[in-house]
Amino acid sequence: MSSMLTRLRRLPTVQVTLAIALLVLGFVVAAQVAGEKPRSQYTTQERAPLIDSALRLQSAQEALKGQIVDLRRRIGDLEAENPGAADSLRQLYADLEAARLAAGLIPISGPGLAFRLEDGGAGGGVDAIVSAQDVRFLVQQLWLAGAEGISVNGERLAGTSAVIDIGGSILVNSAYLAPPYEIRAVGPADLYDRLRGSVAFIGFVQGRIERSGISLTVAVRDAIDLPAYAGTINLRYAAPAPSSAP
Amino acid sequence: MSGRHIGSAHGAREGAHARRLRGPDTRTSRVTITVVGALLGILAIGQLNAQAGAPTLAGLSASDLTQLIANLTTGNDQLRAEVADLDGQRADLENAHARGETTVDQLQADLDRIRAWAGLTAVTGEGIAIVIRGPIGGDAVEDLVNELRNAGAEAIAVDGVRVVLGIVVAGAPGALSVENHPIGETFEIRAIGSPQILTGTLTRTGGVVAQVTASYPDAQVTVTPAEQLTLPATERSLIPAHGQPRL
Repeated sequence: MSSMLTRLRRLPTVQVTLAIALLVLGFVVAAQVAGEKPRSQYTTQERAPLIDSALRLQSAQEALKGQIVDLRRRIGDLEAENPGAADSLRQLYADLEAARLAAGLIPISGPGLAFRLEDGGAGGGVDAIVSAQDVRFLVQQLWLAGAEGISVNGERLAGTSAVIDIGGSILVNSAYLAPPYEIRAVGPADLYDRLRGSVAFIGFVQGRIERSGISLTVAVRDAIDLPAYAGTINLRYAAPAPSSAP
Repeated sequence: MSGRHIGSAHGAREGAHARRLRGPDTRTSRVTITVVGALLGILAIGQLNAQAGAPTLAGLSASDLTQLIANLTTGNDQLRAEVADLDGQRADLENAHARGETTVDQLQADLDRIRAWAGLTAVTGEGIAIVIRGPIGGDAVEDLVNELRNAGAEAIAVDGVRVVLGIVVAGAPGALSVENHPIGETFEIRAIGSPQILTGTLTRTGGVVAQVTASYPDAQVTVTPAEQLTLPATERSLIPAHGQPRL
């Protein structure tokens, strides 16, 4: 034992440092390779300009959504400060706030849960990749269980939101979202109990999640925060029907 | 000669022993450690980004990237139009405030727009009517609705029920329902939006209509453009009962 320690003490510091660094490098490389999964199959050079364009557009999208949220907040503040203090005007403002809340244009907080959907291991093949269908199914089950608001990776769902596949990832509100997917829902305190009582949800867990190796975890929380919907609400084709106009 | 040789051999052994004590060539070691350290840093950042869920585009094919770019471009154009519209509203409100005027008309216009978009009032406009004859499952109806949303539908109704936030068409073939309203084997989905884009997206080769009829071969799905449709308001309250506005 003491001879071993003596031999170790004789080892130069540089060699020890190098050995440790290489060991850590080996772990990191292994983790990186293991994390690649079947998604990263494309490494051709010609995609580089496309990736650059997509990244620029994503960045522009985030900035535009930030502007929209800021402008809506500013408009709400200006409306609240309206110099006319007549009761009718106050009622109009209250109606407007209620409509915004109903439409998902205001961030909310309340009891709820957060699901995390993650791809299975590389050995699971295409079936182990979380699809838009999986996300849509969970969202539908949450609505049926009584959810009042839902977001997917920070994208608040609105009545016009589509969830579609793109490659092995998904698009929500035209935003590109990569796994893992966090689906947050605000609703009644027993939202998860209601969900567990759904035959369709149990069938999804047993028939899809457990068989494919996809990971689904849930956290029930007293307070879940949902952001405001930051997309467009402009109507180009639809107009209030004459009978419903004020 | 022999002694020098021995001597020089002895000197070489001493030199090697000294190098072992100092470590291998120090400069080479430092360069190696620097390179390894740099690699470690790059890989660690990559790993952290991956674990944080940062969107990684490396797994997309050129075709997927092209589709993504088209989606982002269209989406960003719509967002820019929204920003311009909101900026105009903000400027009008600020000007009205500066003049000490009320802004009833603008408030009412804003309210009408939000209520129509959220499904709280009935809306009218051009679009498409999808007639389904035969048994299909709720999953297929939801797929159709999702594709309509993806194609830019501004308002949708299934069998006369306005589809708004939280409304799901569910059930097995022959036992469909929406909002506790049973749906028969023949029913209509109406959507307001561009008739050309909606029809083209749904009926393209391998599109959602083809997928639905492949999954439910006993069902027929027909898509017809419509010059004017009227969709009812939802009867559901969309005000959260458990969630509170977060300011």
